[in-house]
Amino acid sequence: MEAEERVKELEPSDFSMPKRRTIRNWFRLLWRSKTGLVGFVIVSLVTLIAIFAPFLAPHDPLEIDAMNVHQPPFWLEGGSMTHALGTDHVGHDILSRIIYGARVSLIVGVFSVVLAGIIGVVVGLISGFYGGWVDSVLMRLVDSFLAVPNILFALVILGVFGPSVMTLIFVLGVTNWVQYARLVRGEVLSIKEQDYVRAARSIGVKNNKLMIQHLLPNVISSFIVISTLSVATTIILEASLSFLGLGIQPPTISWGTILSDGRDYIATSWWLATFPGIAITITVLGIIFLGDWLRDVLDPRIKQ
Amino acid sequence: MRKWLTLILISVVLVLMACGGGGSEEVDADPTVDPEDERTLTIAVGTDMISFDIHNHTNTSTEAIHVNMFDYLVKRNNDTGEMESGLAETFELVDDTTWEFELFEGVKFHNGDELTSEDVKFSLERVAHDSELLEHTNYMQIEEVEIIDDYTFRIHTENPEPALLNRISRIGSGILPSEYIEENGMDHFLKEPIGTGPFKFVEWERDSKIVFEVYDDYFDGKNEEWDEIVFRVIPENSTRVSELLTGGVDIAVNMPPSDWDRIKETEGVSLAQEDSNRTLMIFVRGTEGYPTEDRKVREALDLAINNEAIVESLLDGSGTPTITRVAPGNFGFNEELYDTYNYDVERAKELLDEAGYPDGFEMTLHSPRGRYLQDAEISEMVAGMLSEIGVTVNVEYMEWSNFVEMRSAGENEDAFLLGLGNSMFDAANALDWYDYDRFEGTLDYYNEEIEDLLFEASRNMDLDERDAQYQKAQELLAEDAAAIVLHQESINIGVNDRVEFVPTMDEMIYVESITRK
Amino acid sequence: MASFLGRRILQIIPVLLIISFIVFVLVFVAGDPVVLMLPEDASQEEVELLRESLGLDRPFLVQYGNYVWNLLQGDFGTSFRYDEPALQVVLERFPATLELALAAIVVAIAIAIPFGIWSATKRNSPIDLVATGGAVLGKAMPNFWLGIMLILIFSVTLGIFPVSGRGTFMHVVLPAITLGTGIAAEMTRLIRSNMIEVLGQDYVRTAKSKGLRTVNVVYKHAFRNSLIPVITIIALQTSTLIGGTLITETVFAWPGIGQLLIQAVHTRDMSIVQASVMMIAIIVILMNLLADVLYRLLDPRIRYD
Repeated sequence: MEAEERVKELEPSDFSMPKRRTIRNWFRLLWRSKTGLVGFVIVSLVTLIAIFAPFLAPHDPLEIDAMNVHQPPFWLEGGSMTHALGTDHVGHDILSRIIYGARVSLIVGVFSVVLAGIIGVVVGLISGFYGGWVDSVLMRLVDSFLAVPNILFALVILGVFGPSVMTLIFVLGVTNWVQYARLVRGEVLSIKEQDYVRAARSIGVKNNKLMIQHLLPNVISSFIVISTLSVATTIILEASLSFLGLGIQPPTISWGTILSDGRDYIATSWWLATFPGIAITITVLGIIFLGDWLRDVLDPRIKQ
Repeated sequence: MRKWLTLILISVVLVLMACGGGGSEEVDADPTVDPEDERTLTIAVGTDMISFDIHNHTNTSTEAIHVNMFDYLVKRNNDTGEMESGLAETFELVDDTTWEFELFEGVKFHNGDELTSEDVKFSLERVAHDSELLEHTNYMQIEEVEIIDDYTFRIHTENPEPALLNRISRIGSGILPSEYIEENGMDHFLKEPIGTGPFKFVEWERDSKIVFEVYDDYFDGKNEEWDEIVFRVIPENSTRVSELLTGGVDIAVNMPPSDWDRIKETEGVSLAQEDSNRTLMIFVRGTEGYPTEDRKVREALDLAINNEAIVESLLDGSGTPTITRVAPGNFGFNEELYDTYNYDVERAKELLDEAGYPDGFEMTLHSPRGRYLQDAEISEMVAGMLSEIGVTVNVEYMEWSNFVEMRSAGENEDAFLLGLGNSMFDAANALDWYDYDRFEGTLDYYNEEIEDLLFEASRNMDLDERDAQYQKAQELLAEDAAAIVLHQESINIGVNDRVEFVPTMDEMIYVESITRK
Repeated sequence: MASFLGRRILQIIPVLLIISFIVFVLVFVAGDPVVLMLPEDASQEEVELLRESLGLDRPFLVQYGNYVWNLLQGDFGTSFRYDEPALQVVLERFPATLELALAAIVVAIAIAIPFGIWSATKRNSPIDLVATGGAVLGKAMPNFWLGIMLILIFSVTLGIFPVSGRGTFMHVVLPAITLGTGIAAEMTRLIRSNMIEVLGQDYVRTAKSKGLRTVNVVYKHAFRNSLIPVITIIALQTSTLIGGTLITETVFAWPGIGQLLIQAVHTRDMSIVQASVMMIAIIVILMNLLADVLYRLLDPRIRYD
């Protein structure tokens, strides 16, 4: 991507001083990256749809229309604009469900990432600051979480506690914090070694405060990038858990539940599973594009 | 550029070679049946068999497989409900607590051992006396099996046991080879099980397949239709349907309603439907403080639900509305209460008014999801119907294991949806759900007349009188709207046109009754 | 190298202990499986009877202590569902999952290497766009959806591959594609960025300027050098791969560890859950270790400190 090359020409100081970047500059950068722009537009759209769902949805997503079950989308024979994307086996309006489903999918995605971020930062800070056995223990904890696939861990916890939006956020948060912890710890360790910190320490400046001051600008960009991409994986994970029967339960609707409910009808009423599938794919695509672009612009150091 | 393409080609070839070494043996692309496999019957089931320990599971779909390799002493005729001879040629009641049986002579286990009374004693007493076995509670009524001679034996029960024959013609009733097990141990038996049935065990690959082959010396004559049966485990509904449609399997159980039309319309396969012995019902609390404590409220709820509409719109007309849990073919069946339902919204509103809820009330309905045919959808529809009379139903959908735990912890609220099967085919089992002691603290339904009737019937050896008692009990229960009975669920099995298969109410898959066309 | 290895291996012990503890706590919280073992119409009496005979009422620490002690002797407990040692049940399933995972890796490589190279050498061309776009798409599609779609298209409609099950080469193709695409996406991106880096390096430029043909340059220098991270990423993807088998195995009725685990969670067969989580963790840890070692062996620039 073009961004990669351009970024290399910028001085590192540019990144630590985001204040200088005006919104116009950001948009100029965004405009130059095709994928970044696409990602930004998709993510903004989906977010707006989620926020304004009650105004956008043509029907109540829980409304049953027994007279109009299995109606195809409007462009097919038998379809109508009343149910633009068709209806399911009890007459729910698919379009409205997808619009409302965006809410839960995004809420689960965003909040679990926030939770993961908080846990990760705390563990990373403690580990980096104290070092020694504390660090060893926490790093083994990190290794433990790395050794168990996320979905497996989530499956066991949800199996035990029963699936709900709160447990789902909790589970996904608890399984995703590891990368943040590693990031923060690494940064703390490298700052610790820097001359000015050592110097400050030698003249008796409280070094914790100083370190946090220097830590923030250094990790914030990586943090944003990791978080963005995590939201994407979380949305997919939520759908997968629904498929295994341990996702969000009705009447709450997420894209995962619509998709997984629709899978029995893939061959007969293809629209039930196809539209939520497309919604997930496009959104995740948008988030990944945006995340990649952010990575290129904010922090050329991290790749993969 | 050409060289460059060669490079890609080489890497692809390398990769394919690696793939060939990656654990695959032979190549077989054709999903249709080839002539050599013609005498192999392939059946797709949704869950794996649990164990070959016939006494240590309570799983109907496991029994459905077992019936092909184990035989029962007596068999229930699915059409008439009468008991017929299985391994036992004759059986008769000696006194209130004693039955006498005579075995067919010359029945051989798959290893050649002859079946004797000793094997019967070993099998039945094992499950009757070992409380760790999961089927124990259904056999603990048996006190002793007394051997008269090699082929004659008596079963003594603790109390008069009118349903004894029903007890010994279901899960756990297979006769095990006592000598084989005593010599080699139970563990060995579980790995290489043998029985007396028409098919003998070949292999069991967990979560994948169970294979049987025909047994030449079957006492009732060798099966001439099939050389081999394969039960394939395919948990995902859409995959099981796809296997049926592509000819990958001959029979596929539990076809989801979403695919019924598709199966009916597809050339070469058809959908076989039959009533099951499972009834969908909503249990409500009779506990003090709950609105449903009041008979009028329960009746109002029952009247507000249109059972027929549920069956028609959600189950495509399969299934039968009913107001009793005891289905046809069961002992104690009351015909008056079957294939009918109460529906009268106006009367329901009046009753609510009389009960002191003119504006309705709010209640919670716990509903399993994905356990029974359209269970979540049924709950959703019920909630919609009840809102018509002002009752707001908050449906809480639960994954099965959480649902079971919720119930077991006594955390059920106003109501829950349940589909109850009855492998005993006896009203005793079905009506036990209205016994106060059994559900004290969770359902708290109490009706003194019912308690008395059920107790008397449970040990009444006068079968005609017993039948009348159970019919009476059901009438009272219906009047009292003890629970909201919805409908009898259907069995839905996909069948390839090359085989002839009629499902039976007990959900068993008797390969003996399946023929090639 | 030896001391590095020794230290890494020693670190495995506390990690396994932590995992065993977390899983054990979950199992303890989950309560006992008794109610699920009995049918819908089981009575309270039946439940109590069974619970007693299984002896599920000792204090937490005693139970955990026993559990670890048994683990050390290779005893993962007995499966309630199968009434067999849990470890044995789990190990029986590993070959199937391994076969699927290997096939998926092969698919991933088959997709990633050509597309990775292609898009790196023809940057910003339509090919590059398709490759990178496809890679992201592979990541963005829920696995089960892809699997069901593949069955509908290639089995039901076209009749090329069998629908499900394990056995012949044809059986493994669709599941391997389903499972492999996600990893292929990751791999394509990695190969592409590595190739770009290597192609930009001096010796490649020199080689090019000396008039060597592009194909030679790409193959002899750039490709080989970008292979190192590919090997390590395969090892590092083990966790993702095993996670993916949960879904893929369910869709294709593949009799591996993923299906076993899901059944075990649904039936609360916690010995199986514990045993398989531990075994999966051990495999992931070993593969990560292998990745480290390989990386150090293949890339002489890294020293063992």
